[in-house]
Amino acid sequence: MQFAKFVVTRLIAYVLVIWIGITVVFFVPRFMPSDPVESMLGRIMTRGAYMDAEQVEAMRATLTQAFGLEGTLADQYFGFLHRIFVTREFGPSLSLFPTPVNELIGRALPWTLGLLLSSTIIAWIVGNAIGLLAGYKSRWVSSRALEIIAIFVYPIPYYITALILIILFIHLNPIFPLFFSIRGDPPSLEFISSVIYNSVLPAASIVIVGFGWWVLSMKALSSSISEEDFVYFAKLKGAGEGRIMTAYVLRNAILPQVTVLALQIGVIFNGALITEILFGYPGLGTMTYNAVLQADYNLLMGTITISIIAVATSTLVIDLLYPFFDPRIRQR
Amino acid sequence: MTKKSRKALLSIIVLLAVVLFSTALVTAQEQTEVGTPRATTLIVDNLGGRVDNPTQTNPYQAGTHQSAGLHQLVYTNLWEINTATGEQFPALAAEMPEALNDDFTSFRVTLRDNLRWSDGEPITTADMAFNIDMILNTPEFPYSGFLAQVIDNYEVVDDLTMILNLKRSEPRLAYTLGVHIWGDNFRLVPKHIWENEDPATFQNYPPVGSGPYTLTDSDPNGNWFLYTKREDWQHTDVGQIYGEPGPEYVLFRFYGTEERRIIAAIQNQLDILTDISPEAWDILRDANPNAAAWHQNFPYANFDDPCERGIIFANSQEPWDNQNVRWAMALATDIKSVGLATFAGILRVSPLAVPPVQVIHDAFHKPMREWMTEFAFEDGYQPFDPNYAVDIAAILTEQGVEGLPESEEALVDLFGVGWWKHDPAKATEMLQAEGFTLQDGAWHKPDGSPWQITINSPSNFEVQSQRLAFAIADNWRAFGIDATVQQMDSGTFWSNYSNGTFDAGSYWPGCGALPDSWDLLDQFWHKRHIVPIGQPAPGNAMRYESDALSDILDQIAPLPSDHPDTIPLLTEFEKQFIVERPWLPMFGTSKFVPVVTTYWDGMPTADNFYEGPWWWWSLFKYHMPFIQPKSDG
Amino acid sequence: MMMRRTSPRLTVGLIILAAFIILGGVLPFFSPEDPRSWIKHPRNLPPSAEHLLGTTNLGQDTFWLLSYATQNSLFIGLIVAFFATLIGVFAGLASGFLGGVPDRVITLLADVFIVVPSLPILILMSSLLQGRASLLLISIILILFNWPWPARQMRSIALSMRERQFVNTARFSGSSTLQILAEEIVPHIFSWSMANFVNTVLVAIATESGLAVIGLSSLEEATLGTTIYWALQHQALLGRRWWWIGSPVVAIILLFIALFLISTGISSLSAERRGHGDA
Repeated sequence: MQFAKFVVTRLIAYVLVIWIGITVVFFVPRFMPSDPVESMLGRIMTRGAYMDAEQVEAMRATLTQAFGLEGTLADQYFGFLHRIFVTREFGPSLSLFPTPVNELIGRALPWTLGLLLSSTIIAWIVGNAIGLLAGYKSRWVSSRALEIIAIFVYPIPYYITALILIILFIHLNPIFPLFFSIRGDPPSLEFISSVIYNSVLPAASIVIVGFGWWVLSMKALSSSISEEDFVYFAKLKGAGEGRIMTAYVLRNAILPQVTVLALQIGVIFNGALITEILFGYPGLGTMTYNAVLQADYNLLMGTITISIIAVATSTLVIDLLYPFFDPRIRQR
Repeated sequence: MTKKSRKALLSIIVLLAVVLFSTALVTAQEQTEVGTPRATTLIVDNLGGRVDNPTQTNPYQAGTHQSAGLHQLVYTNLWEINTATGEQFPALAAEMPEALNDDFTSFRVTLRDNLRWSDGEPITTADMAFNIDMILNTPEFPYSGFLAQVIDNYEVVDDLTMILNLKRSEPRLAYTLGVHIWGDNFRLVPKHIWENEDPATFQNYPPVGSGPYTLTDSDPNGNWFLYTKREDWQHTDVGQIYGEPGPEYVLFRFYGTEERRIIAAIQNQLDILTDISPEAWDILRDANPNAAAWHQNFPYANFDDPCERGIIFANSQEPWDNQNVRWAMALATDIKSVGLATFAGILRVSPLAVPPVQVIHDAFHKPMREWMTEFAFEDGYQPFDPNYAVDIAAILTEQGVEGLPESEEALVDLFGVGWWKHDPAKATEMLQAEGFTLQDGAWHKPDGSPWQITINSPSNFEVQSQRLAFAIADNWRAFGIDATVQQMDSGTFWSNYSNGTFDAGSYWPGCGALPDSWDLLDQFWHKRHIVPIGQPAPGNAMRYESDALSDILDQIAPLPSDHPDTIPLLTEFEKQFIVERPWLPMFGTSKFVPVVTTYWDGMPTADNFYEGPWWWWSLFKYHMPFIQPKSDG
Repeated sequence: MMMRRTSPRLTVGLIILAAFIILGGVLPFFSPEDPRSWIKHPRNLPPSAEHLLGTTNLGQDTFWLLSYATQNSLFIGLIVAFFATLIGVFAGLASGFLGGVPDRVITLLADVFIVVPSLPILILMSSLLQGRASLLLISIILILFNWPWPARQMRSIALSMRERQFVNTARFSGSSTLQILAEEIVPHIFSWSMANFVNTVLVAIATESGLAVIGLSSLEEATLGTTIYWALQHQALLGRRWWWIGSPVVAIILLFIALFLISTGISSLSAERRGHGDA
C-alpha cells in the first residue's frame, strides 16, 4: 500500500513536471522580441534577394497565415497541448516551411541518442570504477595519478576539449575527418564504420569531461564512506577487501551516482548542444540552436518537449527504482 | 580490476585503429567523399550552412534553401544580371521585355529557342503560362500575393511568344520578374511534371530544371549536394550564350565553422569559398600557395557586394529627428580607426546612399567628389575630407602593407572618394548649439538626462556589420557618449528593424548593383512606406519622412533605366541625401571570396573580370563555361 | 591516524587561488587603461616586457584584458555557486527531513528546473533580453538552474540519514534536532557540499563561457568566455596566437584545479577532525 501510494505520487509529479516544463517553453519564446515571419523575411533579405515594398508586405501576410500564428495566445496554447498529448505532432517547421517538425526530429533523434548514450555510459562506468578504486585505495600511486589526470581534464569545458581535439586530430594530425561525412546506406558495414569514425571525436570530448567528473565525485564519496564507522566495523569483523569495497562502499556510493546520472541527462543535453554545434553533428542540439536563432517556434517546441519528456521519464524511472537500491527507504 | 580495464582500453584502441585504417584506404584514391573523381569535381563552400530538409526542392516554398546550388545551377530566370558590365541580359528569355504601350502595362516576352528541361522536354510558353496560373492559384506560396499585384492576364501567341498584361505600370519589368540582386523568385518549373501535383506540398525531389546541371545526389544530413553536368547542355541558356560548362560535377559542401572551412581549403578540399574574415584569409594565404583572392595583392578583397554598411538612426524619434545631431555624429566618427578595427582597413568608404560598387562608384561617387568637397553647411563649414584614400594608404604602409598603388587616382579607386572629417570640436559645437551639454566628459541630452545610444548589431552573422557596430560604439564612447552594442540573432535583429523599435543600428539600407537603383532607394526612403512604430514596415524602416527626397523619387518612378533624365535625377537625390543625412553610410561591403586553384582555373578575379565572384547568386551558372580543369603543365 | 596538519593540496590550491584573487580582484584597479577598448596598441604583438601577454587583433593588452576577465568570471562563478549551494542545501534538507507538503513542492520545483534543459532557455532568455543580458542577470538565471542539484542530493542524503544509526543514537540520547544538525549532519554533508560548490563554480563559468562562445553572453564585458569568443572570432587558434586564445583557457583550467584542490583539502581535513571526535 505504502509503495503504491509512493508510485502514484511520483506519477502525478511526473505529469505536473512535464506540463509546467512545456508551458514555460511555450510562453518564453512567444515573449521574445523575435518574430518568425520577420526572421524568414530577414533571411531572404540578408541573402541579398531584392523585394520591393509591396512584395515584402504580400509575403508577410502569406507567411503569417501559413505559420498559423493568427489566433490568440490561449488558442495557440490549447492547440499546442492538444497536439502534444493527443495527435503527437508539432506541425510544420517555420524556418524550413513546410517540412514537418516530426520528420526533422525523427532524423536528428537517433544521432543524439546514439552519441549521448554511448559516451555517457562509457564515461559513467569507467569513471566510477576508477573513482571507487581511487577513493578506497587512496594511497596507491596509480590512484593518485589517475586522480591527478581527472583533476586536469575535469575543469575543461566541453567546447575547449572539443577545440583541442579538433586542433590535435584534425588540423595537426589529420587522422579524423574534417567534417561530418557519412557513406553508404544504414544497414551496411560502410555506413556503420563511417558513423563510428565520424563520432569518435565528439564522443571523446563528452567522455573526457564526464569521465573526470565521475572519477572525482566517486572518489570523494567513496573515500568519505570508507571512513564511516560501519566500514570500520566491517574491517574489524574481518571482511575481505574486495567485499568491503563492493558491498559496503560501492553500495552506499552508487546511490547518489545513479541519481546524478539521471539528473545529468539535462546537463549532458546542454553539453551536447555546444559539442554538436562545434562538430557539425546532425543531432537535436544543432537543431535546437538553429531553431532558436531563426525563431522557429514549432521546431523549438518539438526539440525541447522531446528532451523534457526524455529527462522527466528517466528521472521517474530512477525514482521508482530507488527503493530497490536503498531498502531502508522502503520502510517509510 | 585495473588489468581488466587495461584490456578493455587496449581492445578499444585496436578497434579504432582498424576502423581508421579501413577508412584511410578508401580515401587514398583521388576521389571526393561522394565518389566522384576529384579532378572533375568543383567543390563549392555552401554559404547557407547545413540544410535540414535536403529533399525539399520546391522553389516556391518558403523554407526551401535556394543557394545550396538550386538557384545557381538548376533553376533559371527570365532575365539575369552581369555585374561586370552592370547590365541585365536575357536568360530564358530571348530579348529584354518589349513594352507595347507608353504606360508600361503591356509587354511582349519571347523565350529563347531550342531550350529543354533536364528530362529532355522542350521549354515553351505553355510552361510559362502554367507557372503564372499555378503561382496565382496557390496562396500558400509567399510569392503568390506579389505576383497577383503585378499580372492581370496573359495571351499565348505561339510556342515562344506571349503577351503579359499588367495591373500596374512597370517601366522596369526585367527587375520585377528577373534578377537584379542575388536571384529572383520567378523561377520556371516544367508543366509536365507539376500539373498532376499539389504545388503547395510537392517536394519536387530530385528537381527537373532548366539550368546546365541536375541535382543527382544529396546528403540525408544536408551537408552536401552533388550536381552533374547535363549531357544536353547545348539546350540551356548557359550553353547557348557561353558554351560548354567546364566541371563535370559541382559539389556544394558545408564544412562548418570558419576555421574548419579554412582547414578544408588548406587541404585542397574546397575550390571556392564564400565570405571569410580578413584574419582567416591571412592564414589561408600563408598555408596554401594556390589560394587566390579577388586581387592578387593587398587589399585582396572584392569591394563590389551590392550593399553598403553603416549606422542607421530612429529618424522619427528625438534626438535623431534633428539633422544637425545626425551630422554631429558623422563628425564625431573617426572613420579611419573604425575601418582599421572593422576589417584592418580593407574597405572602400562611401558617403552616398548607394554602395561604392565599381559601376556605381564610376557613375556617382567619383563624378560627385568635387561637389562634395565644395559642399558647406549654412555657416560655411566644409565637412568633406577628400584625402581619406591617401591617408589610410599611409597608415597601412606604415603597418607594413606592401604593394599599394602610388597615384591618388588609383588610391581613390581602391579606398573610395573620401568621407566626412573627424572633427570632434565641430561636433561638440553643433551639439551644444542644439542644447546638448558636456559634463565631466559625458554628453547629456537637452532635457538634462545622460545621452545613451544603443546600437543594434547582428550576432555571429554579417561579421562586417557586427564589427562595425563595436568599432563605432568604441569611437563614440571616446567622444563622450554612452554607446553600447546590442547584439541580436537574425529574427530579433530584423523584427526590431521593420517594427522601428531601435535607437541606432548597424544595418545596410543602401543597396544596388546597377547605376539605376531607384527601386531600392524608393523602398528604403520613400515616405509613403512609413507606418507607425510597432507595426512591421513594408519599407523605410528608418521612418524618415522627407518631402524633398520622396519628390525626387516620384519624378524618377515613371522613367525607364535608360532614360536620359534617370541618372541626373538620381544625382539630385544623392545631393539632397547628403544635406539631410538620414543615415551614416560608411563602407561598401568587403568580401573575401577566395578560390583555391589546385584543381581549377578560370574563376573570376580582378584581372579576369568577366563577372563578380558571387557564387551564391543565381548568376553562378554563367561562371561554369569559364572554369576549366587545371592543365598539369 | 595521522596528526592534524595542513594538507599540501590545500596550500597549493590556496596559493593558486590567491594569485587569481590578486589578478582579478586587485590588479584591475591598477590597470592603466580600460582594457576593453579597441585599437589602444598595435595589433597582434607577441609577449614582451611592455605587454606581458602581447596584444590582441583588436589592439587590446591581453594581460589587462585577462585581469578584467578573471574578475568578472570569478564574480559569476562565486555568486552562482554560493547562492545555488546555499539554497540547494537548505531546500534539500528541509525537503528530506520535513517531508509532507514542503517536500512535494520543493521536489516538484526542483524537478521542473532539472527537466527543462537550461542552455536553450538561456539562449532564449538572452534573445528575450535583446542580447544585453547583464552579468548579474545571467548569474540569477544560472542560480535558478543550479540549486536543484544540491537540493536533490541533500534530500536523498537526508532521507537515508534519517534511517542511519548515528542519527538514531543521537536522537535516543535526547539531543535536539538542531544539535543533531550541527554536530552530526553538517560535518557529514560538508565535504559533499564543497565538491558541489566547486562543481557549480565550474558549471557557472562554463555555462557563461559556453553562451559566450556561441556569441550570446554580454560580449562587451570581458569574461574568460568572451575573451575566448573574440579570440576565436579573429582566428587566434588557426593563426597560432597562443597568448590570446591560450591565456583565458589556461586561466580557466588553473582556476578549477585550484578550487578543486581547496575543496578536497577541506574535506580531508574535516574527515580527520571527525575521526578525532569519534575517538
